[in-house]
Amino acid sequence: MKVMGIKKVFYLSIIGLLIHSFSTAQEVLQWRGDQRSGVYHEKNLLKVWPETGLDLLWEFPELGAGYGSPAITTKNIFINGEMDAESYLLSLDLTGKLIWKSKIGPEWVASYPGSRTTPTVVGELVYVTTGMGKVACFEAQTGKVKWSLDMVGDLHGRNTRFGFSESVLVDGNSVFCCPGSPDTNVVALDRITGKIKWICKALGQLPAYCSPLLIKLPARIILLTFTRNALLAIDTKDGKLLWTHEQQGDGDVHVNTPLFDNGFIYYIAGNGNGTVKLQLSEDGAGITEIWKNQDCDGLMGGFIKMDDFIYASGYVNRVWYSLDANTGSIVDTLAFNTGSTIFADGLLYLYNEKGQLGLCKPNGPKLEIINSFKIIKGTKAHFAHPVICNGILYLRRGNSLLAYDIKNKS
Amino acid sequence: MLKIIQMNKILIVSVILILSLPSAKAQGMKLDEILGKYYKNAGFDKLQDAKTIIMTGTMTQQTIMPLKIIKKRPDKYMQEFDVQDQTGYQVYDGQMAWMTAPWTPDPRPQVMPEDRTVDLRSRADFDGPIYNWKAKGHKAELEGVDTLGNAKAYKIKLTRADAAIEYYFIDSESFLLIKKSSFRKMQGQDVEIENFFKDFRTINGIMFSFESENLMGGNPYSLIQYDTIEVDAEVSDKLFAMPE
Repeated sequence: MKVMGIKKVFYLSIIGLLIHSFSTAQEVLQWRGDQRSGVYHEKNLLKVWPETGLDLLWEFPELGAGYGSPAITTKNIFINGEMDAESYLLSLDLTGKLIWKSKIGPEWVASYPGSRTTPTVVGELVYVTTGMGKVACFEAQTGKVKWSLDMVGDLHGRNTRFGFSESVLVDGNSVFCCPGSPDTNVVALDRITGKIKWICKALGQLPAYCSPLLIKLPARIILLTFTRNALLAIDTKDGKLLWTHEQQGDGDVHVNTPLFDNGFIYYIAGNGNGTVKLQLSEDGAGITEIWKNQDCDGLMGGFIKMDDFIYASGYVNRVWYSLDANTGSIVDTLAFNTGSTIFADGLLYLYNEKGQLGLCKPNGPKLEIINSFKIIKGTKAHFAHPVICNGILYLRRGNSLLAYDIKNKS
Repeated sequence: MLKIIQMNKILIVSVILILSLPSAKAQGMKLDEILGKYYKNAGFDKLQDAKTIIMTGTMTQQTIMPLKIIKKRPDKYMQEFDVQDQTGYQVYDGQMAWMTAPWTPDPRPQVMPEDRTVDLRSRADFDGPIYNWKAKGHKAELEGVDTLGNAKAYKIKLTRADAAIEYYFIDSESFLLIKKSSFRKMQGQDVEIENFFKDFRTINGIMFSFESENLMGGNPYSLIQYDTIEVDAEVSDKLFAMPE
């Protein structure tokens, strides 16, 4: 009887350990991780990199052309790529071995050819978009398509200079996408069937390459995205347009996902208003502009807000900026060209368009590079945002997905 | 009193002499001497032994684009560059020039027209047009000394055999080429292209500029930065042949 008791305790401990190990494993289920913020909740990462660069754990060199980052679950990596003008969704295991590859539809092969979005994973389903406007839902396990629709053919959408580039956002039972036509500007689809739930005509403008943000307030849930000349806030319950924030100038590239923090919206639209802070009303129905800074004009590298500072790279001036989030003033610059910014374990990871990956310490307002090395593997432009998951830094460059070890083993 | 005035006079004359020294030196040097020093300091003797050069880096205009230049003696040239992340080529195979531009409606390889071939043929000259200029049928003239920022540079006009005009600015201290000026026909007008060369480094005894700031019509146009320059890597002639 006593033996039975010991055995029970032993089995329960094993189960407990397993549950613990699963529950501590990180996942990156969408573009730039949780809240699309570019902040990865990792611990015990290297604080200094080896002189020769990071250890490459593996490379998968057959993604096809593209700029999208991977989504990562506890078992799989999902990423898309263009091969012979077709877009494919690929599932890899965590050691970089291909599990399946499924055709999505035609991919963008004009300016900057290749796939340009990150898959969104919800449970056993994976949602993807192509540069030509296909939105599709796949079974994560099998790669079998569950439904798909064409934003241009089915929703009268209009493509843009650089192709549809929105990584779709999924919340509850809805998938949100921006076909950009005057009559079907922003659309909510049933995530299980792909059927239209609501249509928002918004301002009838073309899409602006933005992957939207969701703001959950007690009063309502708001979808925040950009079209050609404005930031839009849409009530996700019924598709009602709540407010807009117009952009200056003729620029139409507003890629960066906005950020919501403690009642304030921050966005960087380098092709429009630059960096902006808005105060959102308690019910989400209105905004007040707090400050605007056109000098910090990042185009597509995202940004990070940590405490009272915003970190992002510029477009006209190819430097990284540190801005005071209270005043909007630039408090420091770092000469490291321009590119994407993510954050983990107290450090910034900067990946510039010249291919240098840098580790940077944000010391309050000050930016200090600790290490950097050049990414020479892969093909074409250094545009994809890095992703960090379970001590591994995933970097996509064109055809290649590279997995670097950034665990601190000491 | 007289002594003080005389001393002042001597001092002023000395200062004038010192200030005018570079130009006097410039005026004193002959074209062949200047070019001789340039060839020596830039390592043209070593360059004569080199068969190929591969330069890899980036060109920054609005965006950063990868750039690769391959040269093979005596006159083969390939420039590989990306526009909107699509790779295009401009090539001179020793006899004719061809190009691809996949971002245009016709992505197929095309023979370049004569006016653009002239430019590429000149770039294909392995040693550059000014080296051994007489034998190449060009005409070089020393035009004086120009001030470029803090530097004084000998200005040499080169009238190429094909009638194109270029200016070479050789630094009066280092005797390296710090600026080149040429002209490109655009919409019927001659537009000046200025290349300012910086970041000199020696590879196999040959001095290369790893960075050039380029102006078109007086406005900033591009920045070229090389990450690596290889001398005498294996390069097949087939690389320069126009695809079928």
